Amino acid sequence: MSAGTAPTPTDALAPRSPLGRIAAATRSDRGAYAASALTALVFWQVIGMRFERIPTPAEVAEFFWSQASSGVLWAAFANTLDGFFVGLGIALVVGIALGLALGLSNMVRTFLNDIVVVGLAVPGVIWALLAILWFGFSFKTPVAAVALTATPFIAVQVAQGVRGTSRDLMRMSTAFGVPWHRRIRHLVLPSVMDYVFAGFRFAVIMGWNAVLLAEWFGGRAGVGFQTRTWYDANNFTGFVSWVLFFIVFIVLLDRLVLERVARRTFRWRAQATATPRGGA
Amino acid sequence: MSGAVVSGPRVEGRDGRGVALGRRARQVALVVAGWLAFAGFWTYASNNLVNPFILPTPAKVLDEMWTIASTGELFEHFQWSLMKTFVGFGLAVAIGMPIGMLMGTSRWWRAYFHMPVTVAGNIPGITYAVLALVIFGISVEGPILAVALISMPYIAINVAAGLDGIDRGLLQMSHAFRRRGRDILRHVLIPTVIPFVFAGVRLSFALAWKVEAITEVFGASNGIGYMIRQSYDEFSVAGILAWMFFFVIFIVLMERFVLQPVERRLFRWRPAEVTS
Repeated sequence: MSAGTAPTPTDALAPRSPLGRIAAATRSDRGAYAASALTALVFWQVIGMRFERIPTPAEVAEFFWSQASSGVLWAAFANTLDGFFVGLGIALVVGIALGLALGLSNMVRTFLNDIVVVGLAVPGVIWALLAILWFGFSFKTPVAAVALTATPFIAVQVAQGVRGTSRDLMRMSTAFGVPWHRRIRHLVLPSVMDYVFAGFRFAVIMGWNAVLLAEWFGGRAGVGFQTRTWYDANNFTGFVSWVLFFIVFIVLLDRLVLERVARRTFRWRAQATATPRGGA
Repeated sequence: MSGAVVSGPRVEGRDGRGVALGRRARQVALVVAGWLAFAGFWTYASNNLVNPFILPTPAKVLDEMWTIASTGELFEHFQWSLMKTFVGFGLAVAIGMPIGMLMGTSRWWRAYFHMPVTVAGNIPGITYAVLALVIFGISVEGPILAVALISMPYIAINVAAGLDGIDRGLLQMSHAFRRRGRDILRHVLIPTVIPFVFAGVRLSFALAWKVEAITEVFGASNGIGYMIRQSYDEFSVAGILAWMFFFVIFIVLMERFVLQPVERRLFRWRPAEVTS
């Protein structure tokens, strides 16, 4: 991993005095994580004190407590997650079907490729604004924004997975006259599962972005709406706190839930490299 | 990520030229048919299924695009958005490259930056837009900051990965001949890293371009995002769609004719799978 230009002392070589042990701990990976977190906290505290618009960690914690104990926080998240999950469900169903078609048939791929490429390139904010103009202040707005943003990403991932499916097995099953639905069920689906999952993780981040945008511009409840309300009220403590709530939520969901599930499910595979997958 | 584009089947010449040409013609016909079917369905839907205000016909949107292009609005706002995106990338390279080099050469720094870089690369774009809004208000600097923040992790991670594959022998030899750290940096590390900086830019381009637009939707007085916002405020679906198509056409052209060719050139010396 490291290029080895600066060899770090291993634990076996580390001096045994208490001070030496502390020094060794600081040099370890865990020490680096702690240093990183500490730097971030100090940095936040300093800019919080320096800039009037940015609240300090203590102010945010206090605000979090007030929102959590009054129940506003949970209600807003419940509201947002409702539309978010329905939209993701639709994106998953449509995306997998579309991806299978794109991956299995050259004709469909040539036919629809450009349209999917356009779909990938359209930013979530455009879908959010269009959804508001189309559906107004209704439940359909966040659902449509999430589904429209996320579907092309799932479809593309699934199509890639299908094309990575063993050609030999495909040809053999064609030769032996295996019906297409059994071919999809026993050959294609198992091999695209991890692509579906990767696509789903994209979709979660993309969808979260879209649902927040839809609520910010045209919602009457939910996390995006709350954030907007505090912004309009010119209350930056409330505004920054709500922004942090939705960041922390998506980071926890992605890192703690989805990544663990991925690691468990695909344990048998070689470790894949992690690449950032920001969503817009 | 959006580089994960489904590419069409490759026409192979081995079946003879006539067959290949026939296949090519069939392919073009299918692509055209795809667009025609799409436009046809869209026209039908806007004439019969919904209110044309909700979904204007393709002809109306094309007309709108023509107006935007011929009045010079297109050029003016594209210029602004492009300028902000490029300055943002410059900033991202300036910050991301040193971070990536630290991560690539020292285990401690890799662990130190692991968390911030993964978090920064995995949060939704709206975050950067509102952050820019808090710090700068309605401004030119806001989108620049948003682009820098969203693309920096990609550049850092790519540079770190690039340094993993550095020629160790060259480094050891430089040390053996007691080259100064500055010389090693200049003649070994930086030349190795430059293509990976570019790979980071290329990977994050579509994303940065989108975040730039989102930030402009939130608070700007020029640029594509600002025009999309203006169309929205005027309840003009045709306007939003027209700007959306310009936006998308630009991404696709940029990917096909600038980023992919340059990347292929820079990474000619490597096996293909390493870059993606």
